Amino acid sequence: MPSPLIALEGVTLLAPDGHPVFEDLDWEVAAGSRHYLSGGQGNGATALLRLWAGLARPVKGRILLDGLPLDLDALNHPYINAGKLGWVPTDGGLAVNLTLLANVALPLRFALNVGREEAEEQANLWLERAGLARLAGSRPRVPPDRTCWLTALARAGAKGSRLWIVDRPPGALDGPSLRAARGILELAAQDAATTLVLVGGEWMSALGTEFRIDEGRLSSGSSA
Amino acid sequence: MKIDDAARRLLALPGETAGKLGGSVRGVIEQVGAIAWLLFACIRGMTRLRKEQWRVVVEVTRTQIRFTALDALPLCFLAALLIGGITLLQVYGQLSGFGMENYICQILAQLVIRELGPLLVGIVVISRSGTAIATEMASRQLSGEIDALYLNGVDPVQYILVPRLLGGIVSLFSLIIFFDTVALLGGFALAWLRLPLSIMAYLGALVRAVGPRELEATFFKALVFGTVIPLLCTSFGLRVRLSTTEIPQAVTKAAVGSLAILLLAGAFLSVLIYA
Repeated sequence: MPSPLIALEGVTLLAPDGHPVFEDLDWEVAAGSRHYLSGGQGNGATALLRLWAGLARPVKGRILLDGLPLDLDALNHPYINAGKLGWVPTDGGLAVNLTLLANVALPLRFALNVGREEAEEQANLWLERAGLARLAGSRPRVPPDRTCWLTALARAGAKGSRLWIVDRPPGALDGPSLRAARGILELAAQDAATTLVLVGGEWMSALGTEFRIDEGRLSSGSSA
Repeated sequence: MKIDDAARRLLALPGETAGKLGGSVRGVIEQVGAIAWLLFACIRGMTRLRKEQWRVVVEVTRTQIRFTALDALPLCFLAALLIGGITLLQVYGQLSGFGMENYICQILAQLVIRELGPLLVGIVVISRSGTAIATEMASRQLSGEIDALYLNGVDPVQYILVPRLLGGIVSLFSLIIFFDTVALLGGFALAWLRLPLSIMAYLGALVRAVGPRELEATFFKALVFGTVIPLLCTSFGLRVRLSTTEIPQAVTKAAVGSLAILLLAGAFLSVLIYA
């Protein structure tokens, strides 16, 4: 039996005020599976994504990515170094001193060793898919808006991420943005080996098996 | 009771003072440790860079050099010209009293090249670029940009730190050479308006006064200052964790810490090279 892509083993995560967000949580995400975490803001879904990405530090238990423990301090996980993780936080996590084009092209050049011209060509293609072609030369907006989130989606797509961890967009998406985001995620889902972990609005539910977080426990919701 | 309290406070004073001293020493050791760790991480990161990654690093380094060196040229020019001219006037005034004007070039060259140039350039770089680096790192840390970079396969040490280190060393070296040249030649031009000096005699004495030791001092000070300033400012910037109110504190600590280490390292290198 193949080992899971992400595994939480007896993880306890505390909020800054000491209140437990999750206690002794065990969870596995198989490679190629699709998960959609439903629920409103503040239900712990973002905290769970941060745990999976290794950004939140549990007080107990451990997190394994592709069979190896995640340690953000070490900044050295082979799966992440290879650019296989597509991290799409709500604010996009973009470098504010780079244009949207350079933000999308950077991981290709750095993680995948793709030449500048080819990387920018690829970045332009994905920005077009995200409906941001005309903004490619501009810098990310501050405070971050949906264009930053869409750019982060384009970045995850451009580098051919095998695991997409996508948090909810900042606020509601308008029609064209919604269509663009859905298009990108559907394109990613076409590859059977791609794993999707999504948090967000109802529109994402069609892309994966629904899970709910209730009082720090994960439970299956309706299946898509 | 009051006397008891006063006596107790008096007795506790040496312990508290020792504790504060211990805290300062621990702070310095922590800073040196942070720089050593970051330097090690940078060197390790550099050895692992692949072809396209090197290209990205060179692009970012070029930008760093533009901000740190090129944009600082007007300020360095002004500082060098005035300090060179004023030092020449002051030293000439003192030496002429003893009939030793012939030594002016030797003293000026040694003073500017060995001490003033590296020190003042270091201060300019700390005040302009060191504070900018600390602010930038703190903002990036708070916005989650550094985490996002890493999670998307971009090693922050290679992408952020290595270019700042390389840019710092190249910029410090170039600025020190520029500062020394302007201070010695521009300073002469400024002082020439007031003093009966011959340019040919001044240049001849200058060439004789500048030896390999001066070049050594310039090189080593640029290397040490160029390494310490960006790494220390980065380290302070990255310590910001929770709120934007920590940013000004981090920037102040970065500037003060860099200045303290600049003075200590400058003195240490001077003793090492010239003693």
